[in-house]
Amino acid sequence: MSPDTIISFKDVSKTYILYKNDQARFKALFIKPKNPKTNKALNKVSFEIKRGESVGVIGDNGAGKSTLLKMITGVAFPDEGDIYVDGKVAALLELTAGFSPEMTGRENIYLKGYILGLEDSYIKEIEENIIEFAELGDYIDQPVRTYSSGMKLRLGFAINVNIEPDVLVVDEALAVGDASFKKKCKDKIRDIINAGTTVLYVSHSAPSVKEICPRAIYLRKGTVIFDGPTDEALQVYNDYKEAQKAKKKK
Amino acid sequence: MFTSIWKEHKGFGKQIFLLAKNELIKTYKGAVIGPFWAVVKPAFTVFVYWFAFSVGIKALRSVNVHLNGMEHEAFSINFFTFMFVGIVPWFFIQEQIIQGSKTLRTNRQFITKVKFPVSTILTYTGLSRLFVHLFLFVIMYAYIIFFRVSNGMFPVSWYDLQFFFYCPLMFFFFLALSWSTAPMSAFSKDFESLIVSVMSGIFWLSGIMYDSYSFTGPLKWAMLLNPINFFANGYRNAFLYNRGFWVYKTELVIFLAELIGITLLGIFNYNRLRKTLPDVL
Repeated sequence: MSPDTIISFKDVSKTYILYKNDQARFKALFIKPKNPKTNKALNKVSFEIKRGESVGVIGDNGAGKSTLLKMITGVAFPDEGDIYVDGKVAALLELTAGFSPEMTGRENIYLKGYILGLEDSYIKEIEENIIEFAELGDYIDQPVRTYSSGMKLRLGFAINVNIEPDVLVVDEALAVGDASFKKKCKDKIRDIINAGTTVLYVSHSAPSVKEICPRAIYLRKGTVIFDGPTDEALQVYNDYKEAQKAKKKK
Repeated sequence: MFTSIWKEHKGFGKQIFLLAKNELIKTYKGAVIGPFWAVVKPAFTVFVYWFAFSVGIKALRSVNVHLNGMEHEAFSINFFTFMFVGIVPWFFIQEQIIQGSKTLRTNRQFITKVKFPVSTILTYTGLSRLFVHLFLFVIMYAYIIFFRVSNGMFPVSWYDLQFFFYCPLMFFFFLALSWSTAPMSAFSKDFESLIVSVMSGIFWLSGIMYDSYSFTGPLKWAMLLNPINFFANGYRNAFLYNRGFWVYKTELVIFLAELIGITLLGIFNYNRLRKTLPDVL
């Protein structure tokens, strides 16, 4: 592994066990289930991402994109293989996760900061940036339960992008607020990329991947089909889709 | 294997404390009398039990306590006082067992959405319950002082200091228990229901309303095996019996063996299930 590698997957596999019913689940607490139904979400996935690279992850629903991202963010764990992630990971996936509705926006900044393992002094430093970016005004000292869903997303987004992550994981499906705020978010993501942060970008749409990432990984049924220049990856992806369509027509 | 829970806690102490505080605020914020609810519910429960047994059934005005087993003479103690000192640790134990086993499910966002040292969830929610316990304890201790003075005794005793032995031990014991029960409840809702339905029965099987020392034969051993009795009797040792925790050695040894067993089992179960938690929640 070269020294500027920031993320490395080596033969990573992950299998979900599908329990028949609640009894089977209860039984599995004490006895290992015999020949359970399984779903292989990732199958011997290997790749390396260098510091400062922006990589797109493409593939159909159920291809294993979410599982892959969850592993990078440290939420899920592989059954086999090794994962190495070096540095602070911020995820623009579940922006409102970890908010405490009874606490004020400001208190939630600290709470989220603690969850991310940040020090008090550091949070104090970035607090004003976050509040300014989220455009919450006086609402920052109101309980989060009084926020609209857009406000919550804005606060979540503002916290995640202002903690100066080493790796930023972005899901394209992310929709934050109105058009002008959306633009602000896009600009901010671009700034972060330009500042040399490693970005993983998950998407269904070709243009936005091309725009942001020079390299893309194409996943199909848990296996890496292609890893290389985005244009070629999209080509392989589209060819496969066309072939599928043609098959259906027959 | 032993280090995973320890590793998750290392360097997270301050956060745990703040999250525990947050947990308390979350529970009681928005209510007019706020934290007093933490007292109202147990106070009402104590009143109901006292009313049912002392006023209603009339049989229990006092309890005969057999400190050294049945072969020695019993002494009599006021039922309300006896029950009150035993039920205060029970309130903590009950909350810790029931809520503790539900905690991972109710805090699933910390497991499935963000990276988080999962075992600390059990610690900070447990701590917030301990705060409530300390609050109740202060009220109980005030009552004990009143009780002693009104009976012509000295208001405080060196034996009271045993609180600092029993209370942290109680916290740790039931925390270690939740290392097993919480991941298992998260994995299977049936397991959670099992615990909840068993708990109300456990109350009557433990020496909260009666003296667990007052048995002979197999029942005596059954009572000694119940760790809840260790704490109910422990609080009574400290505040009513003027007896050290080291005096009844059989009870102490059985408890310590259980403590080690539960801790090892907890570490084993937590490690076994930790990595599957994000998949099942």
